[in-house]
Formats: sequence, C-alpha cells, structure tokens
Amino acid sequence: MAGNFWQSSHYQQWILDKQDLIRERQLDLQVLSEEEYQKIGIFFSNFIQILGEQLKLKQQVIATATVYFKRFYARNSLKSIDPLLLSPTCVFLASKVEEFGVISNSRLISTCQTVLKNKLNYAYTQEFPYRTNHILECEFYLLENLDCCLIVFQPYRPLLQLVQDIGQHEDQLLALAWRVVNDSLRTDLSLLYPPYQIAIGCLQIACVIMQKDLKSWFAELNVDIDKIQEISRYIISLFELWKSYDEKKDIQGLLNKMPKFKLQPSR
Amino acid sequence: MQKYEKLDKIGEGTYGTVFKAKNRETLEIVALKRVRLDDDDEGVPSSALREICLLKELKHRNIVRLYDVLHSDKKLVLVFEHCDQDLKKYFDSLNGDIDPNVVKSFMYQLLRGLAFCHSHNVLHRDLKPQNLLINKNGELKLADFGLARAFGIPVKCYSAEVVTLWYRPPDVLFGAKLYTTSIDMWSAGCIFAELANAGRPLFPGSDVDDQLKRIFKLLGTPTDETWPNMTTLPDYKPMPMYQPNMTLVQVVPKSTTKMRDLLQRLLVCNPSHRISAEQAMSHIYFTDINLLPK
Repeated sequence: MAGNFWQSSHYQQWILDKQDLIRERQLDLQVLSEEEYQKIGIFFSNFIQILGEQLKLKQQVIATATVYFKRFYARNSLKSIDPLLLSPTCVFLASKVEEFGVISNSRLISTCQTVLKNKLNYAYTQEFPYRTNHILECEFYLLENLDCCLIVFQPYRPLLQLVQDIGQHEDQLLALAWRVVNDSLRTDLSLLYPPYQIAIGCLQIACVIMQKDLKSWFAELNVDIDKIQEISRYIISLFELWKSYDEKKDIQGLLNKMPKFKLQPSR
Repeated sequence: MQKYEKLDKIGEGTYGTVFKAKNRETLEIVALKRVRLDDDDEGVPSSALREICLLKELKHRNIVRLYDVLHSDKKLVLVFEHCDQDLKKYFDSLNGDIDPNVVKSFMYQLLRGLAFCHSHNVLHRDLKPQNLLINKNGELKLADFGLARAFGIPVKCYSAEVVTLWYRPPDVLFGAKLYTTSIDMWSAGCIFAELANAGRPLFPGSDVDDQLKRIFKLLGTPTDETWPNMTTLPDYKPMPMYQPNMTLVQVVPKSTTKMRDLLQRLLVCNPSHRISAEQAMSHIYFTDINLLPK
C-alpha cells in the first residue's frame, strides 16, 4: 500500500491530536505520572522489540506491532488488557499483516516464557502467565480497537529516500538515523506525526550526533520546520529520560503501581 | 450480530460462508461473510486479515465496500455491501446473447477498479467472473481480495499458484514468482472475451499443459524474440510451435475491430508488453463509453 499515505487509514484515522491523547489517558494518569506512564510504555516497547528479534522478525514487523500497541492504549486504559498479553498479540497480528507468515502460537508463547525468564526477570519474577487461547481472544479486541486499520506506514522507507538524496556514501548516517527511528518507537511520535516527518526529525538528530552540517540541505526540504523541531524535542527528551533512569531498578515498582486489569474469563 | 437478520446463503468464499442479511434498523441489505476460525493456531486467518486491511484502504465505486467487522466469540463476521449477483450468475441468465454496450460498460468498470488497485500498489491476483459483483444499476465491483496483496518493497517471491487456471497468464503458468500488475491485465483480457461471448470462457483449460496449449494455439507460441526471458522461468517446458492460425474474429465472432485491438493488447504472452489498466481505459474502444445506467 505504499505511496498513498494521504488517502490511508493511517493518515485519516490515526494521526491523533496531542490534547486528545492526554485526555484519553486521564484514567491512567490519575494513578501514574506522565513520566511513569512513558516508562511503562518504553518497557513494553522493549518487550515487543526483544520478542521480535527472538522470533527473527524484520524491523518493519516489529515497528508495526509497536504501533498497534500504541494505538490500542491511545484509546484504552492500561487496565483494560494487561500489556504483558497485548504485546505478544500485537507481534502475532503484525506478522500476519506484514505477510511474514504465521508464527505458531506455541512458539510465540514459549518465546514469551524464555524472554521473561532470561531477559526481563528484573521486572517479572513469575512465569509468563498466558496461553494460546488468551492470545487469540486478545487478537479480537485488538482488531476491534484498531478499527481494523492494519496497514501502518513507517519512517524507514522515507528515511532511505532522504539519505539517498543526501549522497552516495552516507551509510554511517543512515545506520545512525535508522537507530533513532527505532528509538522513536518508544515515544508517542507514531501517533502524532506522519512517518516522513518523523524520518526527517530522526535524520536531524543523527546529524547532530555525528556533528554533520546539512543545514542547507534541510532548508531545501519542503517541510514544516516547527513540526520537525517538535519531533526532535520528543526524541531528545526520550534520551534524557533514559539517562536519568535505571529501568532494572524501578520497573517492578512501576508495574505494581500500574492500573490492573481484571482477568478476562477464559473460554 | 443482533443488528442483522440473516436471509439466504449466497455462497462459499475463500475462507467462509457468505449470507445475505438485512440491517434491522436501516433495512439495508448487506452480505455477511463469516470467517471460520477452526485452526486454533492461526487465529484470524491471514487471507481474511489481508482482505480486511486492503479494503479498509481501498475505497472506490468499483471495489466492493467493507462496512464493518463484527466480533462475537470465536467468530469474525465481515459486513460487505450487497450486490445482486456475480458476473458468472449474470452470464448464466443471458441465454447466449449480450448487449455490446453492457460489454463495454462492464469492461470499463473492471479496468477502472483495477487501475485504482494498481495505483495503490495492490494486485488482485484472482480475477474471475465469480469475483466480479454486479448490482441492479449495472455497476460492477471487484470483490474477494483474499489473495490480493500490496506489492510494495521488498521484492520477494510471492506464493505460486494463486489464480484460477482459466484466467492465469502464461508467465504464471510457467511458474513466474514475481508478479506485477500484468497478472491482473491478462485475467481482464480473458474476462473481456468471455463478456463479448456472453459467458463462453476463452481458455477453459483442464490442466497447466492444456491451458498453455489453448493459449498458444490462439496467440502463437512465443519465441525468443517475442518473449526473451520465457525459457528462464522456473517451470518452463518447451511447447509445440503453434502458429497463430486462428484469428480473434473466429474466437470472438461478434467483436468489432476496436474491441479486438484492445483484446490483443491485453492478451500478450510477454507480461512486460501487456497494456496497463490506465492505458486500456483510454483505448479508442472506450471513446463512446456510455456507462450504464446513466
């Protein structure tokens, strides 16, 4: 579905307003501060990323899964479905939509178990509690809450084109900007800005890190500079949050504080 | 599900039964496609997901509308715009005779729907009369996108064997795995001839071999010159060298010169020489197009 962003459900239904987003989160923000909410979001984005890497998914699939996750909680409280269940469900749905092929459910569950045990044991001391039937039931809720808008545009492709436009030998710049795009998945950016703008913002950050002066090239882009600055600020504040915070130490407390779901009755 | 009153069964789709139903509030008639979820491991089938997400993005008068997706435990129901019949059933009702203006109108709408899909990087891949829906106003709509897919990057191999044999182009019959929009254009050509003949299929092959022979008997077996890469296709096997001894007039007796010219541009064995949907729409055959019922 490439190349038709302006007619897409992504643009028409899923570029949200910052104020709306805050309003929708009121329920959760009565219990958590905005920063705590963001930390929980980061933790589960990481969970999705690790799951995807263990399952050998392409970054595109992982990014789509992360956006599903974001979209779901943009409309629902954290207590409506346990994010620990929603995360693998997003990976499951995204891998089908992106035509990666179906991941067998048993493999998905066992990967969740190993990841929790080996990589996230600082957050969860218990075993991964969900089974196939939970994932399949959760898939329905997810599909419904996404209003069946499953095709997600990502900043990766516009980024490739932009870097190509800069010049031939910019592999280092591309690699760095690509990583910044990955980082941007840990923010609300994918809910607020079109992917090509996010790509430009990430590229700008990468240039700053590499101390590469492309001001005149940026100046020639036909793009709303204010938006790009907003995007850069989101990413910089993410970096600052990361610096000031030790997830390993704090996440358990945050997860305990998180508004809790009521267990769905199993079928 | 309370919202709809189930009426008759319409048919079996790629992944479930299709029912006609009435919206109890608006009295609107819709088609309900029930998605079977019998495979406990796959969840919502990929083919259904593909149809849902593509139709969510493709809104066009010549593409069937997806109104809603309903969930009730263990079931997924897709609510589609209802059309009175499909092209296959329409053919059955004809008794061997069709108005040339209807042929032109249907063909134009088929191309317009395809041009829209192709401009959104979506291939249908399974065009056949059963997948073309027709309503009382003479509107034609592309349906059943279960095998369709977006063909953006990256270019990888798409699964083979997706098109019903009769409407399969020779490149796919020879095992080509990189499909382009040309796959749909061949099918459109076959449907065009079938329309003109009031429902007699052009190449009703019984197996891959028979299908290729029928095609080459009409169009002549391609040569290195007309189709340079043919022999490198994965399932290529040498075929008898038929000369194009039949003419299109014999095969489509009631056709006009302009019609045959368009048909000839669609039914080209070498996929890279097949006309595109956009180009076909501006073919001289359509200059006096009078879309029904307007």
